[in-house]
Amino acid sequence: MMLPFLLLAVSINITNAQEAFKVPAYQKFILKNGLTIYLMEQHEVPTISLAAVIPAGAIYDGQKNGLAALTADGLQYGTKSYTKSEIEKQLDFLGASLNTSASKESANLSAKFAKVDQDKVLPIIKEVLLHPVFNQQEFDKEKARGLQELERAKESPRNVMGNYWDKFIYGEHPYANPTSGKPSTITNINTSDLKAFYQSNYHPNGSAITLVGDFNAKLMKEKITKLFGEWKKGSENSMKITMPEALPTKSRVLLVNKEDARETTMYIGGKGISRNNPDYVAIEVVNTVLGGRFTSWLNDELRVNSGLTYGANSRFAALKNAGTFYVSTFTATKTTEPTVDKALEVLKKLREKGMDEETLTSAKNYVKGQFPPDYETSSQLASLLTQMFWYGFDESYINNFQVNVDGLTSAKAKEIVAKYFPADNLQFLFIGKSADIKSIVEKYGPVTEKQIKTDGY
Amino acid sequence: MIKRIAVALLLVAGTQLYAQNKVDDVKTFTLKNGMKFLVLEDNSIPNANMYLFYSVGSRNEHPGITGLSHFFEHMMFNGAKKYGPKQFDRTMEFNGGANNAYTTENVTVYTDWFPANAMETMFDLESDRIANLAIDPKYVDSEREVVLSERSTGLENSPWRTLGEMVSATAYVEHPYGWSVIGYEEDIKNWTKQDLEYYFKTYYAPNNCTVVVSGNVKLAEVKRLAEKYMEPIPAQAPAPKVHLVEPPQTGERRITVQKQVNAPYMMIAYHVPESKSKDYYALDILSSVLTSGNSSRLYTSLVDEKQLATSIFSRYGESFDPTLFQFYISSNKGKSLDEVEKTVYAELEKIAKEGITQNELQKIKNQKLMEFYSSIETIDGKSNSLGTYELFFGDYKKMFSAPDEYAKVSLDDVKRVANTYFKKSNRTVGVLKANVEE
Repeated sequence: MMLPFLLLAVSINITNAQEAFKVPAYQKFILKNGLTIYLMEQHEVPTISLAAVIPAGAIYDGQKNGLAALTADGLQYGTKSYTKSEIEKQLDFLGASLNTSASKESANLSAKFAKVDQDKVLPIIKEVLLHPVFNQQEFDKEKARGLQELERAKESPRNVMGNYWDKFIYGEHPYANPTSGKPSTITNINTSDLKAFYQSNYHPNGSAITLVGDFNAKLMKEKITKLFGEWKKGSENSMKITMPEALPTKSRVLLVNKEDARETTMYIGGKGISRNNPDYVAIEVVNTVLGGRFTSWLNDELRVNSGLTYGANSRFAALKNAGTFYVSTFTATKTTEPTVDKALEVLKKLREKGMDEETLTSAKNYVKGQFPPDYETSSQLASLLTQMFWYGFDESYINNFQVNVDGLTSAKAKEIVAKYFPADNLQFLFIGKSADIKSIVEKYGPVTEKQIKTDGY
Repeated sequence: MIKRIAVALLLVAGTQLYAQNKVDDVKTFTLKNGMKFLVLEDNSIPNANMYLFYSVGSRNEHPGITGLSHFFEHMMFNGAKKYGPKQFDRTMEFNGGANNAYTTENVTVYTDWFPANAMETMFDLESDRIANLAIDPKYVDSEREVVLSERSTGLENSPWRTLGEMVSATAYVEHPYGWSVIGYEEDIKNWTKQDLEYYFKTYYAPNNCTVVVSGNVKLAEVKRLAEKYMEPIPAQAPAPKVHLVEPPQTGERRITVQKQVNAPYMMIAYHVPESKSKDYYALDILSSVLTSGNSSRLYTSLVDEKQLATSIFSRYGESFDPTLFQFYISSNKGKSLDEVEKTVYAELEKIAKEGITQNELQKIKNQKLMEFYSSIETIDGKSNSLGTYELFFGDYKKMFSAPDEYAKVSLDDVKRVANTYFKKSNRTVGVLKANVEE
């Protein structure tokens, strides 16, 4: 059923009349040691959010998968002046939060605290970043817990799909590195590795710290300059991240056997885009139609029309130098085949028929309407600023977002589909009960089978 | 070294600290059909939301229709009179809006997020389905499959779903909190169109619904639209009361569940009173003292010092009827489950005997204040909190006085509730593990 034309026309006007969402004013400056600082005042609640990004992610793990993650965790295992327990007691007492973690490309620190506690919390954050000691005893405990968590993660397909997928698509490229590592590598990592990793990757130059919240920017600038000015400049990690190799020009199937699976969890896709792709916004709009919202074609076909699954979606997972695209869903073991076939049909429909004007307008309205709440809180804004730093985009991404979305024509959408949404040589990943689904998934390409209990991905 | 901080001053300033949102900023009105509105104007982003809280959840079910409240939540998206099948979502998304919904043991909540200027469309859509839901058998059947998939994927991906269902089934012998919100598989397959129609008429009445609107809107406009779209919908007779009362538990209960896991998972659950009880705030503080943050008592002893577990958390959620205070423990591989249990009980007994410290009490009060700030930092947090306080604590104003309620809790209160509820005879212990024959 189509919406009446009148309603359409009115809605378009209304949506366009909405005031464009802009990034609030902020300042950016670089300290002598090369550390980039962003400050943005936000006075809605008396709290301050801090985010930091350091080029120390899992791509620098080398053969020691999990090293970047353990190092980021290890920042909190005690510092020059505080033990781990002292840091935790102090921050918990204040109701403050502090998280340190590694992602594929970077190490990240985020914190949130009451405005009145800034002089208690900021010195701790400084110590954590500049003077961690990687206490052996704390490391041993965390390592033991980490090993358990790795085994536990494999009890839930959803938790490990991403790791299998990245390994399947990126092969030997560092983008394949599983951020949390694997038991065989974690077992051999020690505090000396953490210290060495910290020494070669944690430098002010190449890193950024952003603060957003209830403060006076002028006073905060002095405070931050004093605190982080003493971080010593280092030399950048010499390891250069190359472009991943092209995918093989044939379809492949990776089947991961989980003996007790009651359902099949799947990704279908291939090569994606890097975050700085000039068509990023347009691709997001087109993907909204395919698998980016409830009425998307994938969810409509696989859930609403056929009841095969609770949900189906698609996404572009973009990194600095590359990315992947995948359709993601799950279904009862016995309905594996119709689910894959329907997903492929939907992809084919997008490729062959494209979308009509109304569908495109709807997707444009949707992404514009849902955009502002992504940048509502101080923590979200702090994270936005670190992303701008990391991926090299500026506030025009936000400020011109509406204009860019509005500028997407049908003709351009067609080009986007042809250029970025894969049609041939699709890659298939399944986690499920091999005995029941192997003969089905063979249909889609040559099968490599793995056991979920085997080390790694 | 960090110095121990003397009992801090965070709460002294009281409500002045969060002058950003005052209780008077929330406006209310009630339509002639009994539908109550809470409105909070906030122009920080050009968006708004509408949260509709219906007082119906799995506690209103009985065996034979378990899971129906949640299933009904799904059916609310499958077509009404003006907007037929699929049109609710399509119209909303065309207008830049998105939605979701959730069902608990107590309530069913519908959430719409939209550019503020699309508000009239939201009223049109919501009023259509409250007034004239169409229950199309074709969609009932396909939705059954969707819900079975939702049930299955929960059990596939979370050991807590499997274990939690069994613990509730054991802890409750009469009260409807004993079955899970998603319901029994055979009930999902077998409830009828008549069951759905009865549910709609009884529970989806305007007088059984509280609506919260926050964002870049004006009160007068919300009121005009509410009167136009919602007021014509007739009120219904009040829904029947849930009369079942869980009898006191008079001895420990234990349950074991098999699942292929690497190391056992354990739950320990105690019967505790509902959110409106005078003991709510003291129990909630106790929950934080025990498991909130790495400096909490149970994390420190169980995970850090003894390394018997890799994680522990606790849950004491909002409820209309007496509920469970639950601990969730991921045990460490190869460690004795007896030791795990003993350690938990030792910590609980210590509090029952010696109470908590002034420093701990102040810590939790500080944490509660930070949580409050987070909840009012977004328009969604505001709507969700306002509705939650209105329904579970009887008055949205309690959202603003909550920091004061926590501040009133004394050391003796915390000790007293630990003594009252953390007793062996009042607990249910569940273990999920791979080998259940040993």
